[in-house]
Amino acid sequence: MKYRKILAMALSCVMAFSLAACGSNSGGNADQKEDTNQTDDSKSDGDDAADDAADGEEEGGSSSGATDITLWTYPIGNWGDSATVEGLISNFSKAYPDINVTVEYLDYTNGDDQINTAIEGGKAPDLVMEGPERLVANWGAKGLMVDLSDLWTDEAKEAIYDSVESACQNNDGVFYEYPLCMTAHTMAINRDVFEAADALQYLDEEKGTWTTEGFQKAVEAVAASGQAQVGAVFCGGQGGDQGTRALINNLYGGTFTNPEHTEYTANSEENVKALELLKGMEGINFDASIQGGDEVNLFSNGTLAMAFCWNVSQEKNNAETITFDVLPMAFPTESGDPKLCGGIWGFGIFDNGDAAKIDAAKKFIDFMANDEAQVVESVKASSYWPVKDLGNIYEGDDLMTEYSKFIPFMGDYYQVVGGWAEARTAWWNMLQQIGTGTDVKTAVDEFVATANAAAAAAAN
Amino acid sequence: MTKKNPMSRALVRRETIAGYAFMLPSLIFFLGFVIYPMVQCVFTSFFDSTMNRDDIFIGLDNYKELFQDPIFRGALWNTVIIVVVSVPVVCIFSLWVSSVIYDLKGPVCSAFRCIFYLPVVTGSVAVTVVWKWMFNNYYGIFNYVGTKTGVLDQNINWLGDERFALGCIILILLTTSVGQPIVLYVSALNNVDQSLVEAAEVDGATKMQCFWKIKWPQIMPTTLYILVITTINSFQCFALIQLLTSGGPNHSTDTIMYYIYYNAFKLYRYGYGNAMGVVLAIIIAVLSAVQFKMAKSE
Repeated sequence: MKYRKILAMALSCVMAFSLAACGSNSGGNADQKEDTNQTDDSKSDGDDAADDAADGEEEGGSSSGATDITLWTYPIGNWGDSATVEGLISNFSKAYPDINVTVEYLDYTNGDDQINTAIEGGKAPDLVMEGPERLVANWGAKGLMVDLSDLWTDEAKEAIYDSVESACQNNDGVFYEYPLCMTAHTMAINRDVFEAADALQYLDEEKGTWTTEGFQKAVEAVAASGQAQVGAVFCGGQGGDQGTRALINNLYGGTFTNPEHTEYTANSEENVKALELLKGMEGINFDASIQGGDEVNLFSNGTLAMAFCWNVSQEKNNAETITFDVLPMAFPTESGDPKLCGGIWGFGIFDNGDAAKIDAAKKFIDFMANDEAQVVESVKASSYWPVKDLGNIYEGDDLMTEYSKFIPFMGDYYQVVGGWAEARTAWWNMLQQIGTGTDVKTAVDEFVATANAAAAAAAN
Repeated sequence: MTKKNPMSRALVRRETIAGYAFMLPSLIFFLGFVIYPMVQCVFTSFFDSTMNRDDIFIGLDNYKELFQDPIFRGALWNTVIIVVVSVPVVCIFSLWVSSVIYDLKGPVCSAFRCIFYLPVVTGSVAVTVVWKWMFNNYYGIFNYVGTKTGVLDQNINWLGDERFALGCIILILLTTSVGQPIVLYVSALNNVDQSLVEAAEVDGATKMQCFWKIKWPQIMPTTLYILVITTINSFQCFALIQLLTSGGPNHSTDTIMYYIYYNAFKLYRYGYGNAMGVVLAIIIAVLSAVQFKMAKSE
């Protein structure tokens, strides 16, 4: 009995210490948050100074006159890597020692929920790094973002590409994003398989382009050579869906939205024709069991001979798996003028009502995106390309140079259309319907009706 | 009339207070994380509620929309299929396995219990990912074995074909659901009064008669518990759908739980999602009550 009591006491102590240990860890989320500036000195002058600092923080600054801002960043290349971002912010801290930047790293699975929850709780970050579909079309449209027109000087407008400038503002010309980097999403083929099937004759390897007819013939040739699965119109979810949209829009010159980005136009004759072509092609199947990421894996391990969800990051990330020659390609078109879906990433500022923080955040953006000594490093951290002409920042890097030829093919950035979340979901559901035998016209009409209803609801 | 001892009253009061004090942490947790969200769920279901704007009171509109929504009706139907198939199969299979193994020698019985319980303690994500590989359209083991043995002419897209996807989900659900019932049944069967069984055997009762007339009534409370738990788990099937099919293809694997998640956390339609949650809770409560009633009458 005595021993049981001692054992029970010991176990209770262990549990209590475990809880205490948990409690001591919960104060700071070391993996997620890092104060990347040197603020220890200013906070070590006794309790009074610490209290002053805390008071100051509530008003956007510390006792030493420093301003504390928070940056939440999605994993845009190495902007999701703490070591890289620490280096970038260290540069900023040297230029602006009175601004402290705390960084939180988001992912695309939970990032939106984290930000929306923070907004609901009145704790939105000061700065966020993402693209126009979130900064402009979502949070900007809801009036949560600061107008960045003062950063968009005439000089900036002159330098930044027109397509990028257009994507960073709403239809009223209010800028909610200041861009840093961009890329064009391509497709890719297994060059070895195409060569063995004598299908390289149907494409222009140097330019990375091909016609719709060439695409058909190439797929036929590869399928005839014994490759049962040449490509897959993946539709298991929304991951990588820009690939299927770009493929379908390019084949016969269809569009996803109107030029004003107010209405979905995916049920155009051109798109219906493209979908019917794909549905009837041997070697291409509508696969509801995979998403973009799965397709990339299947292409990288040689199961599929082409990938519709591709860009330079995919080739870098899968370099160890890939045992063949990857040939990045623009999507096939009738006209020979592909319009690629792009990604444009930059900064937005949440309007937290604190002028000092907003001003500090603008200084951060200006430094990262415009400072001559910094901008190249900031862009390179993303592994993508600058939004203005900075020369070949990837001199000597063959892979980046190879992919840079696709940047001029960047098409309309329609992702800023209203009802985007609903439309994305409706898109892969529509492809699933087509894959399971629904009439193409019926399916795309239903998609457009759903998406336009969501766009109308968002506009109200 | 005996005079009450004031000391014992004080003692009772002290013990009562101490009892409530011990209950307080779990009571606070229960109120904060169960009761409050339930009330909030019902309340929000009467609003058009989304992110970053004030809620708008819309009365029963969410409920009206719910029953006109073909995807919700499809999800409800799929959920019913999952429940109707999985609950009896889980109960019968686990009872059969338990009946076979419960009187085996200690280590052998434990080994069987471990084997069947393994999928329960393994993380559901890990289990699902393994199943996803096995069902893979291109290199999955089912297609490989099927085509190599000539059972299949060509690869089947198990999770991407609406004829098979829901069946695959149910199959996986069964493998992860039988572990706990088997452990419970083994324990219940071991607690059956053996003297009654022996007496019946002496009187010439067959094994089946012993089972149905003696063991079955005694394991009825366990059966009831298993029925209720399995029904609730089947109704709340979510992780499998989320990780394997996202409700596709063509909504053929949508369940109510997944559709709630989709509306609440993909489209941020909290009011609509909550209305579905209320309907699901009512369905589960009614079914559980019916199960209790039937078991009681037996």
